[in-house]
Amino acid sequence: MGAPAAPPFLVVRNIGKAFGGARALRDASLDIIAGEVHGLVGANGAGKSTMIRILAGLNHPDQGSIEIDGQTVAVETPHRATAMGMSFIHQELAFVPGMTVLQNIMLGVPKRSRFGLTDWAAIARDVEPIARRVGITASLNANVKGLSTAENWLINICRALVRKSRLIVMDEPTASLSAAEAEKLFTIIADLSASGVAVLYVSHRLDEILKLCDRVSVLRDGSSVAEFTRAGLTRRALVEAIVGGDTASGDSGPDYVPQNHEVVLRVRNLTRLPKVRGVSFELRQGEVLGIGGLVGAGRSELARLIYGADRPDSGSMTFRGKAYAPKTPQAAVAAGIGLVPEERRTEGLFLTKSVAFNLGLVNLDKLVLGRRVPLLSRKAQSSLARETMKLLSIKTASADNPVGRLSGGNQQKVVIGRWLQRAPHMLILDEPTRGVDIGARAEIHRQIRDLAAAGMAVLVISSEPDELPDLCDRVLVMAEGVVVREMSGASMSRSAIVEASYGERSH
Amino acid sequence: MASEAIDREDDQMSDATYNRRLTPRAKAGLGLFARYATILGLLAMIIAFSILSPKAFSTLGNFTNVLNQASLAMIIAGGLTLAVVVGELDLSIGFAASLHGILVTGFIVHDKLPIPLAIAIVLALGALIGLVNGFIVTKMKVNSVIATLGVGTIITGIAFAYSAGVPIVAGVPEAFLQLSLGRWLFGIPNNIVVMVLVLGILWVLVERTSIGQEIQAVGGNPAAARLAGINVDRIKTLGFVISGMCAALTGMLLASRLGSGTTSAADSYLLTAFAAVFLGSATLRDGEFHVLGTLVGALIIAFGFNGLNIFGAPTFSQYVFQGAILIIAVGLSSLGRSLAES
Repeated sequence: MGAPAAPPFLVVRNIGKAFGGARALRDASLDIIAGEVHGLVGANGAGKSTMIRILAGLNHPDQGSIEIDGQTVAVETPHRATAMGMSFIHQELAFVPGMTVLQNIMLGVPKRSRFGLTDWAAIARDVEPIARRVGITASLNANVKGLSTAENWLINICRALVRKSRLIVMDEPTASLSAAEAEKLFTIIADLSASGVAVLYVSHRLDEILKLCDRVSVLRDGSSVAEFTRAGLTRRALVEAIVGGDTASGDSGPDYVPQNHEVVLRVRNLTRLPKVRGVSFELRQGEVLGIGGLVGAGRSELARLIYGADRPDSGSMTFRGKAYAPKTPQAAVAAGIGLVPEERRTEGLFLTKSVAFNLGLVNLDKLVLGRRVPLLSRKAQSSLARETMKLLSIKTASADNPVGRLSGGNQQKVVIGRWLQRAPHMLILDEPTRGVDIGARAEIHRQIRDLAAAGMAVLVISSEPDELPDLCDRVLVMAEGVVVREMSGASMSRSAIVEASYGERSH
Repeated sequence: MASEAIDREDDQMSDATYNRRLTPRAKAGLGLFARYATILGLLAMIIAFSILSPKAFSTLGNFTNVLNQASLAMIIAGGLTLAVVVGELDLSIGFAASLHGILVTGFIVHDKLPIPLAIAIVLALGALIGLVNGFIVTKMKVNSVIATLGVGTIITGIAFAYSAGVPIVAGVPEAFLQLSLGRWLFGIPNNIVVMVLVLGILWVLVERTSIGQEIQAVGGNPAAARLAGINVDRIKTLGFVISGMCAALTGMLLASRLGSGTTSAADSYLLTAFAAVFLGSATLRDGEFHVLGTLVGALIIAFGFNGLNIFGAPTFSQYVFQGAILIIAVGLSSLGRSLAES
């Protein structure tokens, strides 16, 4: 393990980075000593990913500096980052499926050659001991196609060592590993550390952070807020740093809890492995139910099951008193459910089409000249568009403008507005205010409350713990595919949601 | 998960691409150019040919002739437009049109079927081929290029099996020839009338009906269309069916014009149709396929060929022209699209 006196391999000083108007990083610093295991934690959107992307040369900081071995450097491209001794292992591992283990290990690494031909035999002799050291049991000549995620991780680590990396950045390494595989990875990390290779361990799993890391840096809202050494490290201290000083609970949400209303949706043990593992809840008419939790907790996947975009492995649902098992989104829409999907640009909008087109799409039955005359009434289409634009104050010069030219907030209002005229019995909103400015956010919240007041059942998924207590009648928190806590009224608070998100089950 | 969060925090694009963006003004100018380049090109070509050869080119007779000749290509290109609007390619249309030409003459000459019945059967077969294409693409999840190339090759095999490679010439009734050669409406060639009707119907279908909105949605963003409750597979299959029916129509009109059912007679319509459709997508809209655009695209090709003929350009230059126009068309189309998306 790294001695305190060793000079830092990497120093990141006060970097900031904005995308458009959104500041992903404000003032973030980090230093990594050779051979240490350094944890990086923070809530969703705290800036961890941007930090990694900057180190990897995928984004460039607006301010601040990066030093390696005391020299200020500019990490312009991923190639430069590699040359400087940094390797990055992401969750979705990059592989060439048809190639062998050895070929994948050597991807992008300069290879020994003889007479102008790559000398695979010599390379194999060099790589073999490294592969065995990191625990690759498969033959180097095996095709990577059949290998497990764990083995793919080992191949990536092996590639980093072959490149003589001095820092390996691991992004949520255990997210798709079994407990036994994770244990094996921890041994390898300890071994790497002992041989002088530093590891930057980025994870939501605080138990692993506590167990593995020599030091831990905490990011919150784009700034470094705390750094712990092993001595001062407790779970409570970490959670407090992640959430922020304000742990005061009892923010008063809306008092109105529609307990007596008719149950619109009842979900029983809904399961689709690996992301959704037995979820049960009820949603009532006129209720706004929030689902909080970390990104990857299985919330969007749950929404897709309810909406018929995916099929469950097991479990059942009833909708408005009848058994409900939608095979397609079409069936869900027909039953009276609407979805505002998580990724509005790729899943929600037709960017090159007009605002009127985008708003009309789920209301086509209202826009035709007659039940048996499928001709579109342009007048009806534009008046529907104008009405919706007014209702949600969608700002654009004309309903004929392509929706891709609108701002993020206005685009989101278009996706929501599409459903208003249809007035489904239930509306699912997945991250309704992500990337949306404050004004639009308030408007979207007001609209959601109005819809509920008019009797619609609303399910809101949000990764921002701030958002749910104000907006919802009741909040469920999901972690690792299950509901770990339910809260309502005064018990809803930002801190309670964050704490529950990290998997502390309530009793 | 953190890697999902990467996309989240940076849902625009990486810095490298960001910096290469054009200024809004340059973008608007380029966009304007891309949208009107094809129409300007068409006008410039007509004016140039008129000046160079006023006696042969710029006569009503020649214009009618060009339009008459081009009508068959326009019909098959109109059908192809529907396939590409739903986001797929249909490479089977040329081969299918050849088969349909053989079948319709075979039904009339060998089986002595009444002409209207023969036409109805062949139209239904055209729809059936579209259904098969749609099934292979949407249910078996085969890439449409491969699926329709395979189906097209099988169709050629069927055409050879049916005709044994021998053109059906003898005994084609005059009434069938008159389908394409006649001028039943105010002296306007029938081909032109049929073409205007077909393109008119297709235009209304895509632009002015509720199903047309779904068709455009599926082509624009299939994932979003699915989540908006649209049956994406059915709409895509519909695109193939219409494409198949238009191919049948073109194949039959060609057989009528040639007075025979000949293997491979209509194969070359495939390239013409693609060039027309892609030129059309660069017309008036930013890289989006649409029926009116296809009409403009087909006109450019038709007048281009006509001009080359009038000036006695050698045969090889026609191939060069067709290949070049296809590349230019696709280039303009993707330029338009990239401008619209940035």
